[in-house]
Amino acid sequence: MYATPHILTSCLIIVLIILVFPLLTTLSPHQRNSDWPLSQVKTSVKIAFFTSMVPLCLFLDEGAEVIVTSWTWMNTLTFDVNISFKFDMYSIIFTPVALYVTWSILEFTSWYMHTDPLVNRFFKYLLTFLIAMIILVTANNLFQLFIGWEGVGIMSFLLISWWYGRADANTAALQAVIYNRVGDIGLIFAMAWMAMNLNSWEMQQVFLTSEDLDLTFPLIGLIIAATGKSAQFGLHPWLPAAMEGPTPVSALLHSSTMVVAGIFLLIRMSPLMEKNPLALTICLCLGALTTVFTATCALTQNDIKKIVAFSTSSQLGLMMVAIGLNQPQLAFLHICTHAFFKAMLFLCSGSIIHHLWDQQDIRMMGGARFLCPTTTTCLGIGSLALTGTPFLAGFFSKDAILEALSNSHLNAWALILTLIATMFTAVYSLRLIIFVALGNPRTPRSIFQMNEVDPAITNPIKRLAWGSILAGLLITSNIIPLKTPEMTMPDEVKTAALMVTLLGFLLALDLGNLTGHQLKSTTQRPVHLFSNLLGFFPPIMHRLSPKLSLSFGQMVASQMTDQTWLEKTGPKAVTSINMSLVTTTSNAQQGLIKTYLALFLVTITLATLLISL
Amino acid sequence: MTPPHFAFSATFILALTGLVFTRTHLLSALLCLEGMMSLFVALSLWALQLDITSFLASPLLLLAFSACEASTGLALLAATARTHGSDRLQSLNLLQC
Repeated sequence: MYATPHILTSCLIIVLIILVFPLLTTLSPHQRNSDWPLSQVKTSVKIAFFTSMVPLCLFLDEGAEVIVTSWTWMNTLTFDVNISFKFDMYSIIFTPVALYVTWSILEFTSWYMHTDPLVNRFFKYLLTFLIAMIILVTANNLFQLFIGWEGVGIMSFLLISWWYGRADANTAALQAVIYNRVGDIGLIFAMAWMAMNLNSWEMQQVFLTSEDLDLTFPLIGLIIAATGKSAQFGLHPWLPAAMEGPTPVSALLHSSTMVVAGIFLLIRMSPLMEKNPLALTICLCLGALTTVFTATCALTQNDIKKIVAFSTSSQLGLMMVAIGLNQPQLAFLHICTHAFFKAMLFLCSGSIIHHLWDQQDIRMMGGARFLCPTTTTCLGIGSLALTGTPFLAGFFSKDAILEALSNSHLNAWALILTLIATMFTAVYSLRLIIFVALGNPRTPRSIFQMNEVDPAITNPIKRLAWGSILAGLLITSNIIPLKTPEMTMPDEVKTAALMVTLLGFLLALDLGNLTGHQLKSTTQRPVHLFSNLLGFFPPIMHRLSPKLSLSFGQMVASQMTDQTWLEKTGPKAVTSINMSLVTTTSNAQQGLIKTYLALFLVTITLATLLISL
Repeated sequence: MTPPHFAFSATFILALTGLVFTRTHLLSALLCLEGMMSLFVALSLWALQLDITSFLASPLLLLAFSACEASTGLALLAATARTHGSDRLQSLNLLQC
């Protein structure tokens, strides 16, 4: 009877200790053997995964959740900050998922970054990131969540700029940090509001004491934080730019784990959002806009990693839509299933890139089905899961969200945009497959030297493929839905997502056939340019705004202050006014003093004589 | 015309004539300027004869201003003597601008 909380708590704290242990061993100056990444880091993540299955099974069996408050870190008279972990449904399910995905990615990384001299450091960074993410997910108070939040932000910066000799990588890392910082302002604002008005950062107290308050301000702060971290529209350019980092980084951070931190924050805070229709509407419209905008941008990208990055962004928009529908559990479900197939898509692209000797442009790829069949198969599985093929992983979450959206009495515009984005998902996924896997090789580089013999490539991808197929079914069968889904709806509404996806596939096939014909004499630039240049958002925000600000600053400093106030209204004004007066007066006077004085004399004499006589 | 009236009118007009028709020396112009101080006598008699006490300040004002102008004239004279060597009026045309 008392065993369950003990087992639960112990297992979860052991998971954290297992993950931290390899990091602590790096503090000693003892030289590590070349096997350290595989033997230590990957093994620790594997063991941590299996250890975290125990709480998962306990949760599935008994529904046991636990909150561990271990240490009061700081306290003032009125305000306490504790270290407390919350292992509820969300973190108990997310932790094994994250560990499973990370295990596969680490195994893949040992092959991918094999020739890198600093591979040990790379693994250390990945492990640090994982620990920060687990801290974020299991945080019971906003301070601990903020620690994890900043931790994942910093590790993202360090990992994106892994090849820091490349200028593009540095600018991408700066973009990531700056956009995340803008989002952090929202989080800090929300934390400050809660510290002032609710007197605590512990989530239980926040939920209890905020019953009757007007929560618009902190919720908008949290939405801004999610916009920054989860790359919603407005703060989104960092995510495609983050593809400058190595593929394992993209797979771990920018598809499965870090970018969902913003959505996870909103899921954690969903009891606050339920009663605030303004916040829900903002989430809904922002998510819909994000998903359709990024899907549009993905249609014409030529870099394989950018296509997958935009697909991630689009799915994040879909998660935001789910939150805007007041369905946090569906958003969480999509987080978990999305982690599997998106990480697999990234690993497959990494494998193809390496096999083609670092070729990332899909126009130069083709015929990958001959070269790496396993990878191509899993690419196909991942794309099918992404588009929501029935009964693969993505179907359970995506279809549930779209059904909930269709049956709600909310914004019809958001619904239409989300359906359009679903269609675009099918289009760009099929485009990816056609360009990469079908056809014949278009690369001039020598491709016949590599083969998929190394199990470090195929095993992770196959594991994630199993996850992409089964995860949706497993998770939905085992959790208790918090809100009742809509059970009856018209046939067309029920199959809306499926129909739209099929339409997208047919459209993509038709468009793909058109590439062999030349129907217009010149290229039609405007629409393609809008999509290819990411809607002109980066050129406007990154170039035009700073140029305007800087030129305004220069105008104020040099022209307004120096030239106008200190010169023209000061000395030069005095000079110019006086000079004009002096010139006029000098021109009027001829200087005939004697004549003037003589006349004066005559007048005085005459006047005196006339008066006196 | 009463004799005092004639006296200071004649003094004033004669000094003014001397000021207007100077030919050679700047100093003679300045001396005639001092001769026009009979205006002082005129103002004082005017206020005293007609019993207008508010005008009694005007001779004092005239004295003050005449002191200023006399000093200014002397400074100009000294400057002219320094730059031109003498106070002859013909030499003052050389630096016409």
